[in-house]
Amino acid sequence: MTRPRNWLTAALTRLVAGIAIVVPAALLLGASPAAAHPMPHSVVELDVYQASVSARLELPADDFSQASGIDLSDTTQATLSGKAKAIRTYLAKHIHPATTQGNAWQVSIGSLSLSSTEQTSTGPYRELVAEAVLTPPAGTDVRHFTFDYDVIVHQVITHTALVTVRQDWAAGQIEDEGTTQVGTIRVDTRTMTVPALKVDLGEGGAWRGFLAMVKLGGDHILTGTDHLLFLLILLLPAPLAATGGRWSGLVGARPALLRIGRITLAFTAGHSVALAATALGRLDIPDWPVEAFIAASILVGAIHAIRPLFPGKEALVAGVFGLGHGMAFSFVLAEMHLSTGQLVTSLLGFNLGIELVQLLLVCLALPSLLVLARLRVQPTLRLAGALLTATAAIGWLADRLGLPNPVARAADSAGSHTTAILAALTVTALAATAWTLTTRRHARPGPVEPPATKRPEREGRHAATTCEPYDRDQPADTADSVAT
Amino acid sequence: MSKERTSRARSRRTWRGIAGVAAGVVLVGGGFVAANAATTSGDAKKAGVHYPVDKKADGVAAVVSAANAFLNTLDSDQQAETVLDYSQANATAWSNLPCGSSCRVGIQTGSLSDEQLAALKNVLKVALGTGEGTGYEHVLETLLADDQLASAESSGSGPAAPSSDASASADPSADPSATASGAPTGAPPSGGTGAGGGGYGSDIYLMAFLGTPSVDGTWQLQFGGHHLAVNVTYKDGKVAGASPYFTGVEPTSWTADDGTTYEPMAKFRNGMLALTGSLSTEQLAKAKLSESFSDVLLGPGEDGQFPETKEGIKASELSPKQQKLVLAAIHPWVAGVDDATAKKLLKTYARELNKTYIGYSGGTGLDTQGDYVRIDGPSVWIEFVCQNGFVYQDKVHYHTVYRDHTRDYGSEFSFS
Repeated sequence: MTRPRNWLTAALTRLVAGIAIVVPAALLLGASPAAAHPMPHSVVELDVYQASVSARLELPADDFSQASGIDLSDTTQATLSGKAKAIRTYLAKHIHPATTQGNAWQVSIGSLSLSSTEQTSTGPYRELVAEAVLTPPAGTDVRHFTFDYDVIVHQVITHTALVTVRQDWAAGQIEDEGTTQVGTIRVDTRTMTVPALKVDLGEGGAWRGFLAMVKLGGDHILTGTDHLLFLLILLLPAPLAATGGRWSGLVGARPALLRIGRITLAFTAGHSVALAATALGRLDIPDWPVEAFIAASILVGAIHAIRPLFPGKEALVAGVFGLGHGMAFSFVLAEMHLSTGQLVTSLLGFNLGIELVQLLLVCLALPSLLVLARLRVQPTLRLAGALLTATAAIGWLADRLGLPNPVARAADSAGSHTTAILAALTVTALAATAWTLTTRRHARPGPVEPPATKRPEREGRHAATTCEPYDRDQPADTADSVAT
Repeated sequence: MSKERTSRARSRRTWRGIAGVAAGVVLVGGGFVAANAATTSGDAKKAGVHYPVDKKADGVAAVVSAANAFLNTLDSDQQAETVLDYSQANATAWSNLPCGSSCRVGIQTGSLSDEQLAALKNVLKVALGTGEGTGYEHVLETLLADDQLASAESSGSGPAAPSSDASASADPSADPSATASGAPTGAPPSGGTGAGGGGYGSDIYLMAFLGTPSVDGTWQLQFGGHHLAVNVTYKDGKVAGASPYFTGVEPTSWTADDGTTYEPMAKFRNGMLALTGSLSTEQLAKAKLSESFSDVLLGPGEDGQFPETKEGIKASELSPKQQKLVLAAIHPWVAGVDDATAKKLLKTYARELNKTYIGYSGGTGLDTQGDYVRIDGPSVWIEFVCQNGFVYQDKVHYHTVYRDHTRDYGSEFSFS
């Protein structure tokens, strides 16, 4: 301990490094489910469109067999088609939506599938999933209707069907947001009849849809770890200079900021163009090549962060890979089956949400990126970050190419802890800013004893230990003799 | 110069030390405050109100005395947790689910000291009958079953070796909380397995007195947890209602460490089996219900929702011998309350027997998911249903409910 250490700087460095380790570790530990065990119930999930409602029926297989007389105990997904006709006939007999005036809607039962599932501590059980489309008579209200439904319930009278809305664009409710409950359908034990459910979805409007899309866009980039990771890994070496096939030295704060701006802008342009083109063109692109392309883009970015592959051309690369990310964004919109008017509004809102959150995240990451580049441990941290990212990217790549693996699952699940991610980014940003301020203050009075050199900046750097003070536009070659 | 440097370094070290100590103090202090907020600290306990106890009392006066003796073991906060308003919302706050205090009111067994728990058990003993096959013994066995379930679940799903429960006490009269891995007395109510106030085990049962126990007022004794809901309503020194009474069990039978085999609901099941087994093919056809059941129809929250039309075979169409079997089948549920009340209720149900219906659904073996028997009279309502196991997934387990069309909650509430 010959060198005096600035304990505050050291503490902040430790804090930043500590958060980098603790946060991902915490993210990977999931919460355990709560206990309770009612019998599995049916779920009817409604997606409300402009002129129709689609319903996804999740029916516990045991109770379904009991009620319909169609035995599914030995049926597999493969042999389900043999019973499809009987199942569809049974379902059609027990689903009767009607207008509030009593005019029957049209019901068509679509695809059927069998799967294993679990409700809150029911233990695993098999369920039959059926897709249905409910269409009101032309010109009548899709948001208010009478839902006369007694699938299973007519026979298994202790059974309950929970009716929920998953997507209702005009009410500002869109996918991935969880469902809202409309009501439950069950037998009235006094009369032993199943009363029809009055469905009132309220009035809808385009503004609510737009706002919901802004939020969805923001959520999407926040929870879609892959997009964020790609951008951040490209930004990671932005403050560094590439010389001789290596990252060595700093380019200075202003060029670094310019680079970060260019990369972010290019990524934005790339994904916006691709998003608009694929969504509006309603292009039906298979998702796995796109997802694989994205995984590859992250891998390339990670390698680039270790050794410069395309120094100075980061923006171009960000733009090109951004196209892929934009296509992936469009899948979200495609799944929503919106009318063209809703789609255009959605596109604007969704993209706005993406850009706003992306801007926020880049701003939050900015101080850390700049400070990180100056830390003595920069090469180690950069390498660790790049390797971690590369691991996730390889995991994703394998997963998208048909090899599900725990790495991909863990990396995906990290996106579900948005509050923690934001908190970590904020704390790191604050820590980095505080670090910059304290080192600058410590550096300003200048060193008392110059042992080796006459350059004040350089001296300051040594005096203030782990890292340099604020050395604007310092030549790259002199910057990092300490590390490597 | 170097001297200056050392001194600077030293002062920095000092500061660092001070900062470290300060951080430590903040952390420890914060933890202490949080811990204090979570549990009621011993020093802060306020002595409770003292209630009159008369050890020589009998009948409802004895129940009141036992209830008061229990309250006297509690501090004022605990008393406030136990003695609650006599309201419809509190009265109907029971469930068969392992939802702990999130679906019930009252004080939780796991939060009580040994002395308090003994006093709680004495309330049940006096209120639910002391002999063999009484409500008190049944409650204890139900709690043992839940400990069995808890240990089977924690040792991995599926039927764990029944004797693998190392800590379970085999003696039904033993302290039902003894299995709580020696939980310290006065543990926070959220202790035990319940992360969200739920889970399995005898620690997660709750007792409440709705209204102050008295021999001249109206109040309700409530005790329940997973698979159990005891509701006894007292009015003017008499039992005005011994229902709703939910009792269920998983596992349906097991052998404890000492070799004792438990089968808490054997009497309930066997009574029903004797009844349905006595029915001729013709009678069975009449008794068969058209609906299917995966649970009891009138479980928690279904108060007053009795079907307007009774289904099944009328007991008046049965032979005198079969009619006796109907009463015998009713008995175990009614015996959940004290002996005198049980006798009185059974007399009423015997008088109404001719207008009582017996129905069944699924099979009559009571060994398959969906096997269901119901006894529905002008007053009595009993349902017995077999459900696939949750922890012991290859076995069925039982859910049953006893209600009375007019005497649920002592007829104090009307349900729309």
